[in-house]
Amino acid sequence: MFKNIRSYFQRTETAAWVLLFPSLLCLTIFLFIPLIMSFGLAFFDVTIFLKQFKFVGLDNFIELLQDDRFWNALGNTVYFTIMVVPCGILFSLAVALFVQGNSLFQRFLRVSYYVPVICSMTAMGIVWAVLMDPTIGMFAFWIRQLGFENVQLLKDPNLAMPLIAAMTIWKTFGQNMIILVAGLQAIPDEYYDASMIDGANKWKQFFHITLPSLIPTLGFCVTTSTISSFMVFDQTYVMTRGGPLFRTETLAQYVYTRGFVISPFRLGYASSVAFVLFIVIAAISIAMYYFFTKKETEGL
Amino acid sequence: MGGSVNVKRVIGRVVSFIIKIGILFAVIYPFVWLVLSSLKFEQDIVQYPPKLWPNQFTFTQYIRVWSKLPMFTMFKNTLLFSASVTVSNCLLCAMGGYAFARIEFRGRKLLFVLILMTMMIPFQIIMIPLYILEHMIGILDTFWGLILPRLTWPFAIYLMRSFFISLPKNLEEAGRIDGASEYRIFWQIMLPLCKAAMITVGIMTFTNNWNDLVYPLLLTNSVTMRTLSAGLAMFVGQRIIEYGATLAASMISLIPLLAAFLFMQKYFVKGIALSGMKI
Repeated sequence: MFKNIRSYFQRTETAAWVLLFPSLLCLTIFLFIPLIMSFGLAFFDVTIFLKQFKFVGLDNFIELLQDDRFWNALGNTVYFTIMVVPCGILFSLAVALFVQGNSLFQRFLRVSYYVPVICSMTAMGIVWAVLMDPTIGMFAFWIRQLGFENVQLLKDPNLAMPLIAAMTIWKTFGQNMIILVAGLQAIPDEYYDASMIDGANKWKQFFHITLPSLIPTLGFCVTTSTISSFMVFDQTYVMTRGGPLFRTETLAQYVYTRGFVISPFRLGYASSVAFVLFIVIAAISIAMYYFFTKKETEGL
Repeated sequence: MGGSVNVKRVIGRVVSFIIKIGILFAVIYPFVWLVLSSLKFEQDIVQYPPKLWPNQFTFTQYIRVWSKLPMFTMFKNTLLFSASVTVSNCLLCAMGGYAFARIEFRGRKLLFVLILMTMMIPFQIIMIPLYILEHMIGILDTFWGLILPRLTWPFAIYLMRSFFISLPKNLEEAGRIDGASEYRIFWQIMLPLCKAAMITVGIMTFTNNWNDLVYPLLLTNSVTMRTLSAGLAMFVGQRIIEYGATLAASMISLIPLLAAFLFMQKYFVKGIALSGMKI
């Protein structure tokens, strides 16, 4: 009997399951079960004290449709994404083209541009919030020097979100830059050599060789950036707490606020907001996957 | 004719140099400002017009911050949480990645696709159920509650798998012929080979968890369990009242990662560069 168990564990296939077991166990308990729970929770009325779970069917979603604060948060999140993703990717691509070489100077620049990426959004948010403080901030001072007297920056409802978007690009462009540089370096030199012989100039090379070869990498960057923009939380939480006038409250922050900050801590309702966020993100991921695989096969 | 092409090239070089230095300045300036401001007296930080250079250098903020904020507890919590998660990720993800890359078993493809799909699930989706789950198990606001859900990381399994696939095919055959068990092959032959991959995974895990905000914010609520990110974010929440202490605390939270980055940039960048590649 003992020998049988032993030889069972010695089998190659069993070994695979043994090696995977800890990871699978952890993912099942802390990822799959919560995921399944999250779909159900949106149909219940339950507060943070978990006293009673009351099934309410679609009530949460019906309430959601009439919830101005939800629509505001959705709008803010879309607004943030529309600013951060195109501008951020274009900027990262431009910078990547500038620093793609392997000279010491370019490598130094790459490493330096990457520094904000490894730093916590919390600390960087604090730094930027003080730099943009209307009374004591250095940036506010510079802008005043330029002749703009009434500088409110983060306290200005119309400027707060664009400024947070700009800060986000500053903090994260290094990440896409590194990925794009890796993509650029993977393009074989022969492509460029051949086009040189054909007499193509730099612009032609960029649009006919660089860009088409870079589509899978760009697709990856656009997709991951869009997903993380839709989940934006840290920046707005640290820098404005969703203000002024809720103009920087995002969906992720609304989920957190509804569930854990403002009484009566409605977890069921917050789950329905999270559910919508999930649907939006899933739809975007799938759409982008098909868009970029199509582009990849048929070219630009 | 040739001359004008040369002039054009020189101008191009100069312009590109100025742009590069300009971006470098924009990236570095907030850090320089942070370091210098954290070395000022409070009245120098809030003076108008603001000045970059301190009137007088001082370490008061770094001394005061320990009494203003539970810095020691926060630092210890963050370190304990990030370090344990990192060690566990390195080991468990190497095991998982190895199984997916080098062993044929039924359901391998399906399981791997499942793991890849979990990478797409945003934390905000499972945030509330996870909170309820931890409350039911009774590990909310404890180290177990912080560490257990992060013991493994799908993305690291994926990276490790890519690494093991790239190794030569006949490595484990020799071991099998010698009659070594699968576990011994993994432990003695394969694991020592993936040191570089493990450092890459380890650094990514450590950085992510050290910097994470929503996750510790959600799963801890007592002051004694707060991590640096969560504690700092709470502290500045309403309004920044004590600039000096806040900036010194931010600086302290950044120093470990910046120091690590200084010595191991290669590994920091490697994992990110790999993530965009189709392997």
